[in-house]
Amino acid sequence: MLDHCSISHKGGVVLWSRSFTPAASHTAASSTSPVNSLVREALIEGRSSDGKYEKDGYAVKWTFVNDLELIFVVAYQRILQLTYVDELLLALKTLFIKLFQPFLATFVASLHVTSSAKLASSAAPSASWNFRKAFEGWDGVFDKLLRGLEDKAAQERRTRVAHPARATIDVTPPAEDTSTIPSHSNADVQDEEQIARNVQALKNRLRGRGGHAGRRGRGRTDVGSGRDSLPGSDSETPTSKRKSRAKAQRKWGESAPTENDMALLDYSYDSSVSEDPASSLDLSTLVDNGSLGTRTRDGLYEVKDWEFASQGDKNTDDVIAEVLKKGGQEAKPAASSLGALGSIFSRLTGSKVLTEEDLKPVLEAMKQHLMKKNVAKEIADKVCEDVGESLVGKKVGGFQSTTSAVRQALANSITRILTPKTSTDLLLSIRTKLSTPVAASQQKLPYSITFVGVNGVGKSTNLSKVCFWLIQNGFRVLIAACDTFRSGAVEQLRVHVRNLGMLGVDGATNSKGRVELYERGYGKDAAGIAKEAIAYARDNDFDVVLIDTAGRMQDNEPLMRALAKLVATNNPDKIIFVGEALVGNEAVDQLTKFDRALRDFSAASGGQERGIDGMLVTKWDTVDDKVGAALSMTYVTGQPIIFVGCGQTYTDLRQLRVANVVQAILSD
Amino acid sequence: MDGVTPTPEVLSPSTAFTPQFQIVAALVFAVVLVIISVFLAKRKSTQRGDAVILAGCSDAGKTAILSTLVYKQTLPTHTSMQTNAALMVLPQGHKTLRLIDVPGHPRIRDQFQEYLPHAKAVAFVVDSSTISRNGAAVAEHLHMILNALTSLPPSRGTPSLTIVAHKCDLMKSTAHASAEQLAINRIRTILERELEKRRASHANGVGVESLGAEDADSQVGGLECTGSGEFKFAEWEGGEVGFVGTSVSVGKEAVVSADEKHPQGDGLSPLREWLEDLP
Repeated sequence: MLDHCSISHKGGVVLWSRSFTPAASHTAASSTSPVNSLVREALIEGRSSDGKYEKDGYAVKWTFVNDLELIFVVAYQRILQLTYVDELLLALKTLFIKLFQPFLATFVASLHVTSSAKLASSAAPSASWNFRKAFEGWDGVFDKLLRGLEDKAAQERRTRVAHPARATIDVTPPAEDTSTIPSHSNADVQDEEQIARNVQALKNRLRGRGGHAGRRGRGRTDVGSGRDSLPGSDSETPTSKRKSRAKAQRKWGESAPTENDMALLDYSYDSSVSEDPASSLDLSTLVDNGSLGTRTRDGLYEVKDWEFASQGDKNTDDVIAEVLKKGGQEAKPAASSLGALGSIFSRLTGSKVLTEEDLKPVLEAMKQHLMKKNVAKEIADKVCEDVGESLVGKKVGGFQSTTSAVRQALANSITRILTPKTSTDLLLSIRTKLSTPVAASQQKLPYSITFVGVNGVGKSTNLSKVCFWLIQNGFRVLIAACDTFRSGAVEQLRVHVRNLGMLGVDGATNSKGRVELYERGYGKDAAGIAKEAIAYARDNDFDVVLIDTAGRMQDNEPLMRALAKLVATNNPDKIIFVGEALVGNEAVDQLTKFDRALRDFSAASGGQERGIDGMLVTKWDTVDDKVGAALSMTYVTGQPIIFVGCGQTYTDLRQLRVANVVQAILSD
Repeated sequence: MDGVTPTPEVLSPSTAFTPQFQIVAALVFAVVLVIISVFLAKRKSTQRGDAVILAGCSDAGKTAILSTLVYKQTLPTHTSMQTNAALMVLPQGHKTLRLIDVPGHPRIRDQFQEYLPHAKAVAFVVDSSTISRNGAAVAEHLHMILNALTSLPPSRGTPSLTIVAHKCDLMKSTAHASAEQLAINRIRTILERELEKRRASHANGVGVESLGAEDADSQVGGLECTGSGEFKFAEWEGGEVGFVGTSVSVGKEAVVSADEKHPQGDGLSPLREWLEDLP
């Protein structure tokens, strides 16, 4: 049912991975694999939302081990509701560390050399690395673990199916999955335990259907009586939920055979299931049950290979069972996984391992601090959560306090979020477009930039600043007055154009002819005006078209639709969102809604999906060091801040300095 | 006569250390200290680092190269989230080098700056199979590195730069040239074109910052060339730029140990040779 599972180091080295379907194994090596996308888009950009990431029909879940810098990733088809993935990740994490701790520690140390002199001595013994040998036993362990969890999930499903009538709908597809997926999986499909498993799964499915059919034939009164017997069994065994359910089934089954023979079939099946858990601890027997037929064969097979495997084999069942049990009961074995060794080491070196309890008050303080700096609450929450996630389990040096470690991690995180991932060099982008050769039949299109945003943030003012800068760089600029709504908008632009036309460029006394206004009055369709303006610019040899749009609230559906139409029909080279630095929590809402509206409508109208390409933050001079809006905005869209507007004159346009912003946000 | 009997004057030892003398002594001491510290610092700074930085865009193959060189086997990799720094022993001469593999994701690629002071050489890894599509992005990254290299303080030697045309095995060799040579030529042409575009754009552009005439040092330079001014790697002012063509194949255990020398061991031999030749 899984598609891909991998264990890797944060530095990018994959220690172990397996693909379960041909499609997944095909993409695994390419840059579009789910793991790559996860790292690129969710982890590095810090935009992971609640531990789940979806891409290309895959759902990806992951977990970190910070002290060993490992990532465990599981990818599966998004449509499947796999309940056991979290448990699997947890169990994988615990098991893998337990089995390979020494090797992993040396491996991680080998990737953190600070100077060659220091490690020259220790490099010699670890000269030969054999990863394949080191992780040899892991395949078997993983198989068993996965099988145990899948069986468990299947049983849970079956018991669920057996009882409310509604649940029967979803029984067949998952049951089919258990039987079909193994036939897809690669390499070790053909070994016998797999076949045995298939047969078992098939049988289970048939039984499940039998039960299903049987219950349909039964009268309604029986269902009622079955339900009645539930509370009684619950009180008997309050320890395990699953166990109690199984028992409930048996009672229900016992009452059934008096009715008809189909129900008798159902009874025999149910009792066979519930027999095992009744005899001993439920989960360990489940694992044994899965590998019962193959145990001797397993042993023979693995003895041939390597000592570790055979020695590991005896323990693996116990270990898996233990881990499964732990995973079922409470969800925090990760912290204790290091054990005594870690604590002794930390005592010796004077460093300590950060725990969630250590971090909680510090992170809370950091969150308050961020919010004081005008970062939107939602964003502050997420950033701090990510920082906490990346720090739990990390060792801090003896001289470093928790606070400074968190501060450092936060600074790194903010820097990462603010650093643009695409080029912010507008000049280069314009020059590239203008110098790209076009087919002889068509004329060269000008570079068009659309300014969007809510009311009163300074779209027109900053458009004229950008215009001034472009003129200084020797471009001919056309301003399209597409704000056909607010009175005075066109006149305002006309004044700007007049002013800009009188300012000199490069010694010339005025730049007349370098800038023009394209206006068609009020009340017209903005999209049409923009289109005409671009055509006019093309015919009159303008280099750049700046399109000024009317301000609109992000909730105003008709206006957003009109904006999306403007974007879709003209397909500008850049869509710049203009937002003010004064904005607080509202920033998130504005940007997400603008971005989504643009994307939805442009996709619906047949063109390619277009979102916001960059941001212009205005009124920067009014916020002093409360520059949190910059962080909120870049976090939401993932797009860079191209300009910062910081005053009233045409020259008051700046580029964002990431280092300064980080410093301002973190300063007290 | 009651002549004045001269009372013996007792000179206290402290009188020898007049305030003037103390000041002079302190000054001399301070000067000696300053000289010593300057001398030490100078010695340290003239010393070249021991690190080789692997930089380049995402998916270029930096981590694969690192794993091949360090672990002698090409491990499968995914996008890196953090810097790897590992030690490799060169087969000849038993020199040890520190390889630093900096992630290529645009958000974190700036990290190479902090390793630059210790760098002996920078290897810029380029994926030769996708360069024609990603030319502009690769050039932007390379521009950053060129700029950083040229803006290093002159007191210390500039790290040597080589451009590694990686994934050559994906190119088809022709009768005239090997795949490596083809890849190198293609990368050189594309990067020179893209960097020239950037240079031209910066040369006659007015930066946003210089509008206000305050702190006008935002321009990213580093592309100055001797001669005609058009950007050519051969004429770059920052120093010589080498080119090597390499390839690795994932999954294969390239057994190139210190003792046995394969003449055609794997696709990384040109890179190894370059590492050997580093001063």
